[in-house]
Amino acid sequence: MATLRGTTLLVFLGVLLVLLSTFRCEAADKDDGDQFFFGGLSKAKDPAVEPNIEANKLSHCSSSSTTFSSLHHETSYFSKWVTEIHFRRQLRNHFELKSANGFPLNAVPMQDGSVAKPLEEEVPFPEFGETKSMLSITVVGASGDLAKKKIFPALFALYYEDWLPENFVVYGYARTKMTDEELRNMISKTLTCRIDRRENCQAKMEEFLKRCFYHSGQYNSPEDFLELNCKLKEREGGKLSNRLFYLSIPPNIFVDVVRCASTKASSTTGWTRVIVEKPFGRDSESSRELTKCLMQYLTEDQIFRIDHYLGKELVENLSVLRFSNLVFEPLWSRNYIRNVQFIFSEDFGTEGRGGYFDNYGIIRDIMQNHLLQILALFAMETPVSLDAEDTRNEKVKVLKSMKPLQLEDVIVGQYKGHSKGGKSYPGYIDDPTVPKDSVTPTFAAAALFINNARWDGVPFLMKAGKALHTKRAEIRVQFRHVPGNLYKRNFGTDLDKATNELVLRLQPDEAIYLKVNNKVPGLGMRLDRSDLNLLYRTRYTREIPDAYERLLLDAIEGERRLFIRSDELDAAWTLFTPLLKEMEEKKIMPELYPYGSRGPVGAHYLAAKHDVRWGDLTGED
Amino acid sequence: MATISSSTRCCSSSLAYSNSSYIGFHHHQKNVPFSLVSPNRLGSKRVSLQSKSNPYSNVIIMQDGAVGTTAATVENKAPLKKLKDGLSSVTSPKEHKEPIEVGVNSDKSTVSITVVGASGDLAKKKIFPALFALYYEDCLPEHFTIFGYSRSKMTDAELRNMVSKTLTCRIDKRENCGEKMEQFLKRCFYQSGQYDSQENFMELDKTLKEHEAGRVSNRLFYLSIPPNIFVDAVRCASLSASASNGWTRVIVEKPFGRDSESSAALTRALKQYLEEDQIFRIDHYLGKELVENLSVLRFSNLIFEPLWSRQYIRNVQLIFSEDFGTEGRGGYFDHYGIIRDIMQNHLLQILALFAMETPVSLDAEDIRNEKVKVLRSMKPLRIDDVVVGQYKSHTKGGVIYPGYTDDKTVPKDSLTPTFAAAALFIDNARWDGVPFLMKAGKALHNRRTEIRVQFRHVPGNLYNRNFGTDLDQATNELVIRVQPDEAIYLKINNKVPGLGMRLDRSNLNLLYKARYSKEIPDAYERLLLDAIEGERRLFIRSDELDAAWSLFTPVLKELEEKRTFPEYYPYGSRGPVGAYYLAARHNVKWGDLGVDE
Repeated sequence: MATLRGTTLLVFLGVLLVLLSTFRCEAADKDDGDQFFFGGLSKAKDPAVEPNIEANKLSHCSSSSTTFSSLHHETSYFSKWVTEIHFRRQLRNHFELKSANGFPLNAVPMQDGSVAKPLEEEVPFPEFGETKSMLSITVVGASGDLAKKKIFPALFALYYEDWLPENFVVYGYARTKMTDEELRNMISKTLTCRIDRRENCQAKMEEFLKRCFYHSGQYNSPEDFLELNCKLKEREGGKLSNRLFYLSIPPNIFVDVVRCASTKASSTTGWTRVIVEKPFGRDSESSRELTKCLMQYLTEDQIFRIDHYLGKELVENLSVLRFSNLVFEPLWSRNYIRNVQFIFSEDFGTEGRGGYFDNYGIIRDIMQNHLLQILALFAMETPVSLDAEDTRNEKVKVLKSMKPLQLEDVIVGQYKGHSKGGKSYPGYIDDPTVPKDSVTPTFAAAALFINNARWDGVPFLMKAGKALHTKRAEIRVQFRHVPGNLYKRNFGTDLDKATNELVLRLQPDEAIYLKVNNKVPGLGMRLDRSDLNLLYRTRYTREIPDAYERLLLDAIEGERRLFIRSDELDAAWTLFTPLLKEMEEKKIMPELYPYGSRGPVGAHYLAAKHDVRWGDLTGED
Repeated sequence: MATISSSTRCCSSSLAYSNSSYIGFHHHQKNVPFSLVSPNRLGSKRVSLQSKSNPYSNVIIMQDGAVGTTAATVENKAPLKKLKDGLSSVTSPKEHKEPIEVGVNSDKSTVSITVVGASGDLAKKKIFPALFALYYEDCLPEHFTIFGYSRSKMTDAELRNMVSKTLTCRIDKRENCGEKMEQFLKRCFYQSGQYDSQENFMELDKTLKEHEAGRVSNRLFYLSIPPNIFVDAVRCASLSASASNGWTRVIVEKPFGRDSESSAALTRALKQYLEEDQIFRIDHYLGKELVENLSVLRFSNLIFEPLWSRQYIRNVQLIFSEDFGTEGRGGYFDHYGIIRDIMQNHLLQILALFAMETPVSLDAEDIRNEKVKVLRSMKPLRIDDVVVGQYKSHTKGGVIYPGYTDDKTVPKDSLTPTFAAAALFIDNARWDGVPFLMKAGKALHNRRTEIRVQFRHVPGNLYNRNFGTDLDQATNELVIRVQPDEAIYLKINNKVPGLGMRLDRSNLNLLYKARYSKEIPDAYERLLLDAIEGERRLFIRSDELDAAWSLFTPVLKELEEKRTFPEYYPYGSRGPVGAYYLAARHNVKWGDLGVDE
């Protein structure tokens, strides 16, 4: 991996702001993050695309209501957009386009590799005195919460640990008017230093901030992106340019931004990649639509769909555990594993920010993506190699071996108000941003099955909820009972219940432990369950990097293993869409549970139906 | 059969062994002698008796239960034995199945524990303290007395005084300890006498009878004496001081001979006076907490089951090391050497427990049957598969550590190994080709006993191509540390947290100290309690012993005949390098000398 690690900090260049201060698109559009549709709702409002049939197709993808004149230029290239716009040499090196499921990608040359080659011998550009390539990271939606809390800090952490290439700039892009200085000021508030090595942190911070710039613009304005492009070019100063766009914006403007960015601000010499965050649609159709639209402007290998759970240390370690330890190999099947549990719980509710959530619900927000991704990683066959495509191929196979979820295998819940110790905790519908009659689930439990030779009949249980009694994410693997257990006859306890269990705690306090039956020391013969334990905190003193750091770095390095491919996404939605539709049509009432409780009891009945006990509610933990 | 004994009152022993309701066992001994000789001729040390057949070979006979049923068979052939077995007052097997020693009718029975060789070191350091600990934890029956027996003249008070010096209280519950000690000491008595004098034992019998006061009498003799007087003491005790209406059991400590022949002779001699089920051969390693736990781990955890064979296990290492030498007490040791002292018994016993097939039940005979099968599946050790060493003196930090032959009690030209490493193989379906490596040594750099199970490499390891380290070397390893600091850990490959993809070996860990705050009982406590309760699981049966000697006798003879020179290693070192070469020849790396230990 670590090939791109820059060694020292570069001389900072005195290139400064050019006078792009006048912007044409002053009209602030009124994106409302809470309601957006990927269907053609806005089509009629978009007169600019009317005349063209191709454009008509396209118009599904442009949802924003603002019009802009230059649209013509792109609309005629709907699949291979070899753009020849008035700007110079807008030449994409790649267009292996529209592979419906992404498989052809195996054959695609890595765009960064193939391009970089010819330039390698080249002499460094004079004004930088050094390396030949330049990375620009543009955070679109820079003033948003995610950007402030996660993206900029993650970028700084990468810089701090010398993971970023020598030449890089970070651009914030958003509608707000802001100077570079203001952006730096805003960012600096959330940057933190690694706990374990604080030296030079301040100095590093300064240096990092010097590389941060701001560009204000509309999300759907090609002109604004063109201006961005100019600025980027100046910074790049003729170097091989690699550009990463992080879309930290509401989903309804994904496509606009992608369109503008890719047509106006793509790198001409290096790669251009776009990171998108969930939600990727809200069902099979909308997700496909989104994918289709993205693919008009981007190739599969330019799209980096982030699922930040895949960047968590223990999720990364899951494959290491499985594939580099012989002791787990024979156990990893229906022969030994009785059930697997994926548990996510948060100890807080929507807390006044339920607008977005209410449109999605916990199943879309957590299960269909995070938990299902972990499930796929857990259950997949050994891939041919650790390459992204090999791993993702195996994951897709798991998803395709699963039957869509049935309504009877799901229970949903919603938290209600609760008073404890004189303090009252609000219910979900007490949140002012949530409709009073909302039946959106804040809790769900589901049983899934993988119909393949390895996992036939093994229940994979998922549970996700907000406003529960703990904050925790974990994987629990419960093994079968010992057939003909010798110790069973003698010792009161039912050893068939006290089976082995492997627990991977993803957060908080990362840990791996294996519950084993053990003799209680002493003269008698009493057994108990002890843990073979690995608590990360005690073993590894270094701070564990945030998932975003890993994912950003992977995107920079073109490592796609932890990002979700279009076909994976599609398969994931296929599993959940029928259920979600049915629930909405039937207006299934969620089971109410008190804020801070262990969730609705329905989860126990669901587990019982499949002869499972939730490992996290046994009293042992 | 009478095994529940005090369990209802012994807080920690619970119902552990309560189901040992077998009636008889198959016994593999082919040469159990019956005596054609008159008793008075048996005083000699090495009686080698000829025996044609074994009257008990199939229908033996738990003395405390089923003896009555088979008495008729026995009667014709071995009248002498019958007497000493106390069969004159045969109780019906049915009655014996009732737990006669249980609290309810405990007023009817009593246990007398006679420590023969009471003034010796082992008695002082281990036996009396273990008895007190059992008493302290309410594990002993209500009525019991403890007798010290040895040649020294001593009063009861003197014995009590001597004993009291080594008694200790459990760390975790000290209340009433002083009081309990007093009460315990009141139950200790002393009887002086010769080890080969039937008259003296007769006197002991008389005193015991007085204390038993007409209750059902059960008698346990702990022979804490040199091996050359085992048989004398057994003869006298069994003839003159056997229980008349309860059981009589004898605990013997190693050495059980020094090769197949002497061991067989000893067994034959013992069997003239004792039944197989009266003989409790102690191997105190079997009483260690983690050795006990070995079977629990194997048989009550599904996850280990598929791994426990040649398919997944590359090799197994049984390691014993002490960080001190003979320190002026080499007289006994020099006659035996490390192979006899540690390997042939302790390590081999652990090996057998480790490698045995799943027994039918946890009953003693079922387990011991499986252990014998392992031993009999092994080929006798070959001399090329053994490395021997002897420590030499070494100066470190101004302190001079003496060599083995510097010990005054050791002959200057002694070739006795103080270190040995060996590779053994079990030729059965489960273990064919898996090296079982043993290593035992004195005066090494640390003190430790452990079992290490090294697993095979991951075939076609995905992570191999990418990451520098040779993952085929970094295989999984299960370590069971028997002492000190009892622990179980499983070494796994893990991703080092961070942005890169570096793997390292971490441990899935269970450190007993951290998990269990209770003091772990000494091995002797468990074994004494088991002997009192008639639980034979942890004692070595005659056929096991015989099989164990068969494995080691040829190589021991060869070493002595060829006067093989031990490889010298400095006191406090990691032992002779020969051990590495032995391991290397079998494609093994010692786990305890790896870099990450």
